[in-house]
Amino acid sequence: MATYIAQRLLATIPVIALTSVIVFLLMRLLPGDPVLMIIYQAGADVSNEAVQQMRRQYGLDQPIYLQYLAWIGKLLSGDLGRSIISRQPAWDMLLPRILPTAQIGLTAWLLAMLTAVPLGIVSATGQRTWKDWLGTIGSLVGAAMPYFLTGGLLIYLVAMRWRLLPASGYVSPFVDPLHSVKTTILPALTLAIWLASTITRQTRASFIDVLQHTYIRTARAKGLGERGVILGHAFKNAMLPVVTILGIQLGALFSGAVITETIFAVPGVGRLMVDSILSRDYPIVQAVVLFITAAVVLANLLVDVTYGAIDPRIRKT
Amino acid sequence: MARTEPARPAERPGRRPRPRRLAAAVGRLARHRLALTGLILVVVEIAIALLAPWLAPSDPSAIDYRAMLAGPSHAHLLGTDDLGRDLLSRLMHGARVSLGVGVTSVLLAVGAGVPLGLVTGYLGGKVDEGLMRLLDSVMALPALVLALTIAAVLGLGLINGMIAIAIVLVPIFTRLVRGQVLSVKHNDYVQAAHALGLPTRVVLARHILPNVVNPVIVQASLGVGFAIIIESSLSFIGLGAQPPTPAWGSMVQTGFQYLEIAPWFVLAPATMIFLAVLGFNMLGDGLRDLLDPMARSRL
Repeated sequence: MATYIAQRLLATIPVIALTSVIVFLLMRLLPGDPVLMIIYQAGADVSNEAVQQMRRQYGLDQPIYLQYLAWIGKLLSGDLGRSIISRQPAWDMLLPRILPTAQIGLTAWLLAMLTAVPLGIVSATGQRTWKDWLGTIGSLVGAAMPYFLTGGLLIYLVAMRWRLLPASGYVSPFVDPLHSVKTTILPALTLAIWLASTITRQTRASFIDVLQHTYIRTARAKGLGERGVILGHAFKNAMLPVVTILGIQLGALFSGAVITETIFAVPGVGRLMVDSILSRDYPIVQAVVLFITAAVVLANLLVDVTYGAIDPRIRKT
Repeated sequence: MARTEPARPAERPGRRPRPRRLAAAVGRLARHRLALTGLILVVVEIAIALLAPWLAPSDPSAIDYRAMLAGPSHAHLLGTDDLGRDLLSRLMHGARVSLGVGVTSVLLAVGAGVPLGLVTGYLGGKVDEGLMRLLDSVMALPALVLALTIAAVLGLGLINGMIAIAIVLVPIFTRLVRGQVLSVKHNDYVQAAHALGLPTRVVLARHILPNVVNPVIVQASLGVGFAIIIESSLSFIGLGAQPPTPAWGSMVQTGFQYLEIAPWFVLAPATMIFLAVLGFNMLGDGLRDLLDPMARSRL
C-alpha cells in the first residue's frame, strides 16, 4: 500500500508542474504590461527609463523560462504574489476565503452522497418500474438544471416567500454556529441537487452492470436475500466507478462555487475569483486558479488512494 | 456521415438502399422516447432562435418606461424587465445567443479536437504521450474556472467567450477520438490498408474516421448542452455577451436584483437555459443508445 501511495504521489508531480506552466503562460498572455499596470494603478507619471528600471526590478527583461523559474521559486517559498489593487499578499486574501467554500462544498457533497447512492441503487434494482423512472428522469432534470434556476427558486420560495432561511450572506461557524448552518443550507442544496443527479446516474449504471455478473447469481443461488446480495456482494464493486466520479466532480464543485457564491453573496474562493477577474487583479486570479488546481489534483490523488484501498487489484498493477 | 464510410459495392444483396436506411434510422429515433423528446426540444429551440425576429411580439430592445418590471399581461405575456423591455421577445432573441454560441463552440472544438485525436492516436509515440499529459493538466482545471480565465485573457465579448468555451471542449473530443483510434488501429482491415501502401492520410480518413463518427456525434450533442451552461455562466458574471445583447445569462444576472418583486425575471431565462440543456442532453443520451450501444457499459 505504501509503495502504491508513493507511486501515485510521484505521478501527480508532472501534472502539477505542467498545470503551473499553463497557469503561468495564461497570465503572461494577459493583455497589458504588468509594469504599466502597476504604474497606472498608482496614478504616477513616470519616464521611459523608470519603466525600464522597473522591468529589470521585476525580472521582466529576463527570458520567459527564467521568469517562470523565478516565479516557481517564490511560489515554493510560499509567496503567491500581491494584489495590484490593495497591495495585500495574495495568500492573506485567499486564506479566509477557503473555509466558506469548503464548508458549503463538503455539505453539498455529503447531501448528494447520502441521497444519490440509495436512489441509484433503488433505481437499478427496480428496473422498468416507477422507481427507476423516478430516478432516471430525476437525474436527467437535475443534471440539466442550471444553478441560476435551482438557486433562484430556492431563494424565492424558501427565503423570500416562506422566510425560513436567509437569502444570502455567510457567517463563520466560529462566530455563530447556528446562523452558520442556516447560511450554508441553500447554497449547499443548490450544488447538491446537480451533484446528486450525476452520482445517481453513475450509481444506477454501475449497479446494473455489476448485478449481471455471475458471482451475483451465485450469491442469489445460495439463498441470500436481496438485501444481502446488494450490500454484501454488489456494493463494493459497484461503488468503484462512483468513487472515480466523486473525484472528478470535486473540480465541478469549484465551477459551481463560482456561480453559487455569486448568487448567494458568499465570500468564498469562487467569489474572489470573479471579483478579481472583474477588477483585473491578475496576481489574485493567478493565485486562485493555482489554489483550485492544487486542490483538485490533491483530491484526485486521495481518490486514487481510496480506490487502491477498496480494490486490491489496482495496487498490484 | 455516409460519405465517409469505406467504399463498398453499390448493390450488395440484402442491404437496403440508402433512403430506406435513413427512414429506418429516423424510425428508430422516433420509437426511442428519450431521444425523441430531446429532438423535439432541440428542434423547437432552434426554430425559435432562427425565427426570433418574426416570432417575437415586440422589439427586444424597445424600452417602455411606463411598464418597468411589469407582471405577465396581454401586452407582455411574460412581463417586462427593469427597463420595461418585453421579456418574451428578449428570451426569443436570447436563444440566438445561447444556441449560436453553444453550437459554434462545439463545431470549433470538433474541428480542432477530432483531427488532433486521430493523428496523435494513430502515430502514438512521444508526441502522443506529451500531448496527453498536457491535456490531462488542462483538464485538471475545472471547466468554468478555465473558461473564465481564458475569457479574462481574451477580453470581454461573445466571440471571445465562444473561443474560450471551444478551448475548454477540445480535450474532451481529442481524448474520445484518440481512445477510439487506439481500439481499432490494430484491426486487420487497418493493418491491411496500411500494408497495401495507402498513405496515412487515406487510412485515417477512410478506415479509422468512420469508427469515430458516432461517438463524436453523441459527445457533440452533450457538448452543446455543456457549452450553453458555460456561456450563460460567462454572461452571468459579465464576461460573455455585453448589453444590450439579450443573453439569458445576463438577463438572469440583472434579474437577481429584483428577485423578490419580479421572480419571473430570473426564472424565465433560467428555465430557458434548463430546457435547452435538457434537450441537448436527452438527444445525446438517446443517440448514445442508438448509435453507440457499447458506450453504455463504459459510461
